[in-house]
Amino acid sequence: MTVTTASRPTTVGQGVDSSADADRRRARRGKRLRTTGRGVLLTLGSLVAVFPFYAMVVLSLKPAQAISFPGSLTPWDLDGGAYSDILGAQDILRWTLNTAVYSVVSVVLVLLLASMAGYAFAKKRFPGKEPLFWSFIAMVMVPYHVTLVPTFILIAEAGGVDTYWGLIVPTLANAQAVFLMRQFIQALPDELFEAARLDGCSEWRVYVSIVLPLTKPILATLGIFVFLWHWNDFLWPLVIAQGTDMRTLTTGIASLNQQQVPLNQLLAGSVVALVPIFFAYLVGQRYVQEGVVMSGIKG
Amino acid sequence: MATQLTARKHGSAPPRRRRSVLARHDAMAGLLFVLPCLVLFLVFRFGPAVAGGVLGFFDYTIGGTAEWKGLDNFRRLWEDPVFWSALRVTLVYSLIAVPVTVAAALGMALLTRRAFRGVRFFRSVFFLPVITSLVLAGAIFRWLFSAEGPWTTMLGWIGLGGTPWLESSTMVIPALALVGVWSRFGYGMLILLAALQNVPRELEEAATVDGAGAWQRFRHVVLPQLRPALFFLAVIETTMSFQAFDAIYTMTGGGPAHASFTLVFDLYEQGFKYFDLGYAGAIGVALFIMTLVVALIQRLLLGRDK
Repeated sequence: MTVTTASRPTTVGQGVDSSADADRRRARRGKRLRTTGRGVLLTLGSLVAVFPFYAMVVLSLKPAQAISFPGSLTPWDLDGGAYSDILGAQDILRWTLNTAVYSVVSVVLVLLLASMAGYAFAKKRFPGKEPLFWSFIAMVMVPYHVTLVPTFILIAEAGGVDTYWGLIVPTLANAQAVFLMRQFIQALPDELFEAARLDGCSEWRVYVSIVLPLTKPILATLGIFVFLWHWNDFLWPLVIAQGTDMRTLTTGIASLNQQQVPLNQLLAGSVVALVPIFFAYLVGQRYVQEGVVMSGIKG
Repeated sequence: MATQLTARKHGSAPPRRRRSVLARHDAMAGLLFVLPCLVLFLVFRFGPAVAGGVLGFFDYTIGGTAEWKGLDNFRRLWEDPVFWSALRVTLVYSLIAVPVTVAAALGMALLTRRAFRGVRFFRSVFFLPVITSLVLAGAIFRWLFSAEGPWTTMLGWIGLGGTPWLESSTMVIPALALVGVWSRFGYGMLILLAALQNVPRELEEAATVDGAGAWQRFRHVVLPQLRPALFFLAVIETTMSFQAFDAIYTMTGGGPAHASFTLVFDLYEQGFKYFDLGYAGAIGVALFIMTLVVALIQRLLLGRDK
């Protein structure tokens, strides 16, 4: 009796110890399993995300007739013939120029207009400010395609078909840009602006030497977004810039697509059109990811 | 209150006048700063939005002749089988693309939630398709789904070969929806990652101490906190899916036999191929109503939550 009672605590103690050990071991094994599982899933996910790009590049470097899977995806026997063909025979360089004009001019003007309006909405007092601001924002709700036809009619009647201004001007009324600028500037302390004004700065000086420098981070975010959006824009250039000389890269490549250009040349054209986008993303990755979150939070 | 008023009335007459001059100056400056944007908005947003609503009641030809048609365009729309088929195609596309996109986004957000080596690499890679135009990626996807491409070939290996999906009137929409998922899940992932940062860690730790497994923690702790973000994402993705155009334009051109002919495609053809601008306007109104209904459903569901 005594022996059993005496030995009891030790057995229980041992039991606790070994089961805790087992728990820890199991937890460790579980953790390792989870980490491996996560790695496998993430690798699969990135393969899915990247595979089309890989196929695009490899196939653009293969002869036109080598298109059947899996032979066509081997990373050897490559040559750049399709690139010299497409760059020589088509208007890709012209389309790149058009796209660059469309994107860069729009970025500069949207940043200028939206920061001016955002500053006024954030720090100025004028009659009708709030209703005006909210009716700007309400325009986000109206789908692009509802305004597409009327905007086309407007520009067509004004003689803007196949012109840069007709392409660019309607895209400058960017409600999201105004919203983001206003939110950002609102968070800046009022004293900054008042001090400058008491020092006798003109309103324009305040804007140039205080608002613009202080909003650099948000200007960078917005700038990259507007750039990406314009570079990829398709439907608006498709309807308004129809002439071969006025096409952008997206509408130009789409027209090659319809002309039954050989696949390797088509893909070579697509790769050329994608390089600037990838470059912009590489440079501004942080801003892009922050921007998504910022514009997402408002909803 | 009263002292303030009297103080203003007596003591500070000159500063008050200066202040009102300053205020007027401030208001002028404010208006001038807004003016360029205001003009652009009036001309290219408000104007076209109103015109978009009205255009459906007219027959319009470029050159400035508008003829009042009453409800003719809408009646035609109601009786047009092409419109109903486009509506059905659009809805089927959304029904596939939206849930799969949100699920993939959620999965990837949960996997890349905690910091580990290489996490930023994965997030960046998943976002790469989002910044890629589907017009430019369309050519490669057409090949991927073609008879010689990997999708058809690999389905053949497991005995599911047959008509390439883009040429099959039943499988063309699932194929296009998969492309849509590819191009959109990275965006949703970032939105959900941001929302996950707001789930208090203590809540999950408390649940772990109480013996909740990974699934239970997700189901009862994380998911309820994610609801608003998931709703937001679902609405954005639904709106986006109603407007799907780029990939369809380059991959199928609406075919085979109108099987991937969506509403935006209908609007584009009516407006810019047949120049039936009034009719295209009526289709635009239908799209707007659909978007509005989705937004209202979101409001109702979220409102019920609170």
